[in-house]
Amino acid sequence: MVEPKLLDAEDYRRLCEYLYRHTGMAFTESRRYFVERRVEERMIATGSSSFASYFARLRANMQGELEKLINASTVNETYFYREDHQFACLTSNLLQERLRMKPPRETMRIWSVPCSTGEEPYSIAIWLLENWAEVDAHDVEIVGSDIDTHVLEAARAGIFGKRALMRLSPALTDKYFTPAAPEHWQIIDELRQSVRFTAANIVERAEMRPHGLFDVIFCRNLLIYFDDTSRRMAAENLYESLAPGGYICLGHAESMSRISSLFEVCRFADAIVYRKSPEAPHG
Amino acid sequence: MADRKMRILVVDDANLIRLYYRRILEEAGFEVEEALNGIEGLERLLVSPADALIVDINMPQMDGVTFLSALRRQALPLSSIPALVTSTESSAGDIATARAAGANFYCVKPIGREDLAGAMAMFCGVRA
Amino acid sequence: MPLIRKESDKAAAGVSRQALASLASASPDERWAAARVARDPAAIPNLGKALAHEREARVREAIFTALAQIATPESALVILPYLRVDDANMRTGAMDALRAMGDACRPHLSRLLADRDADVRLLACDLVREVGGADGARLLCALIEIEPEVNVCAAAVEALGEIADAAAQPSLSRCAERFPDDPFLHFAIKVVVDRLRGLPLAPRG
Repeated sequence: MVEPKLLDAEDYRRLCEYLYRHTGMAFTESRRYFVERRVEERMIATGSSSFASYFARLRANMQGELEKLINASTVNETYFYREDHQFACLTSNLLQERLRMKPPRETMRIWSVPCSTGEEPYSIAIWLLENWAEVDAHDVEIVGSDIDTHVLEAARAGIFGKRALMRLSPALTDKYFTPAAPEHWQIIDELRQSVRFTAANIVERAEMRPHGLFDVIFCRNLLIYFDDTSRRMAAENLYESLAPGGYICLGHAESMSRISSLFEVCRFADAIVYRKSPEAPHG
Repeated sequence: MADRKMRILVVDDANLIRLYYRRILEEAGFEVEEALNGIEGLERLLVSPADALIVDINMPQMDGVTFLSALRRQALPLSSIPALVTSTESSAGDIATARAAGANFYCVKPIGREDLAGAMAMFCGVRA
Repeated sequence: MPLIRKESDKAAAGVSRQALASLASASPDERWAAARVARDPAAIPNLGKALAHEREARVREAIFTALAQIATPESALVILPYLRVDDANMRTGAMDALRAMGDACRPHLSRLLADRDADVRLLACDLVREVGGADGARLLCALIEIEPEVNVCAAAVEALGEIADAAAQPSLSRCAERFPDDPFLHFAIKVVVDRLRGLPLAPRG
């Protein structure tokens, strides 16, 4: 039986620090109840009789416990307009900054990697159409990439269920989707054609380089799953894929502080993002 | 006299050091925030500036000297936050390097309770 | 070291002679590109030479990443001297790379913990925490029985707080006795001893 007071203040602190140091995920005091429930689930699943013994197990990563805890702690499902404060940052700040720096009429390139079943890159497209006044004045290219070719196929088909659309207003759903099957909607053709989907392993330089340079990259909730070396390599690949002065957005509970010092920290009203130095040479 | 508590940001990768400083400083009437390394320190300061900093040198991803250099390049008020650098290194070269990067004060570890609270009070312009 | 998502293929099949030569190129971009593909143990000597001369932080990081990715005791050996340098940024780069390479550094840990330089011993304590494996707690307990520098003991105590079990308590108590006047060390040892009390003594399965 697991004792009712699961984690005392110090246990919680120590767990958060451990997770932060090893994955980059940050949990604040406000998430304590949530984290405690997840730890409780894992303790029951692993038959750990105390937090201390569970933590020892976590440290030793017995039977992949770290990944299991991360999986339990992240909202794994993807949906439209997830963490949309970053999209707000895109239209409020990032695109303007990029326009200031780019040669006129050069395409604005945005990368969603990993793109999973397409919710993120399609969300970006919809958001731009809805919120960027200048959207028609510029050439925008949106690329979605993932290591998993099955999700890419689904992304290209662009058919989504109710949960994926839960954050979209009925007006937006009507405007950009058509009913495709019971409780399923397909994104309209114009948007399906506006996103290019490719296979890419973020850790493999040879797979990343051919995509060229981007103005903004969204790489959310992926790096937390990597070991240190893979994370470094992914960070270097992402750095190489950014135009000088380009931005990268991580998941909202992630920080570059556990990943790499290659990027500069930038704070905007809606989000903290990271930037490749404008003085950096190409590639 | 300030209405609000003075905020100290402790930038150190050692869990127990941060805990120790927190106890001392909270007892002395300060509010304490923590960061594990220089990058996290910058992120926290960008969200809400502190009144004073305690900065360790050896930290993962971004060390204390690099952090201070980056901090002093930021806009006000960040660039002028007073910083006490703590280190186990005690050579004159290390002290000079830290000062050149923007340290206001350099203390070799271990730091005593009175020195810590006293230095923070001095930086924040309050009574210890 | 938590190894969650392994890279799909661990090493390129050898590194081209051109890539190795490019490690010494006058162009930082060429050096960067070369470091990014030099993932084979055969590249270790060239990476070592490149590291010794590299002034660009970004290229240095890439060289460290290559050595970390190779992850052999030989690639760790190339990095060890940088634990001693005056440049804090370099030391951080070295530590990050060593932490990332996991087991590969383990053969070096005992020697590092016995280094003449107290600052190296101190950094070694943090390495033991990350990559010391099952032996880590034992190594650190042995250290705190005899270590003369209080800051090194403090670093060891910090690490023990994470990796040890209640069996470490006697060594911790003796360490506290050796430094009666250090309030931080006493604080640290007390916190850690209290924390370890809750742990089972049985070896982890």
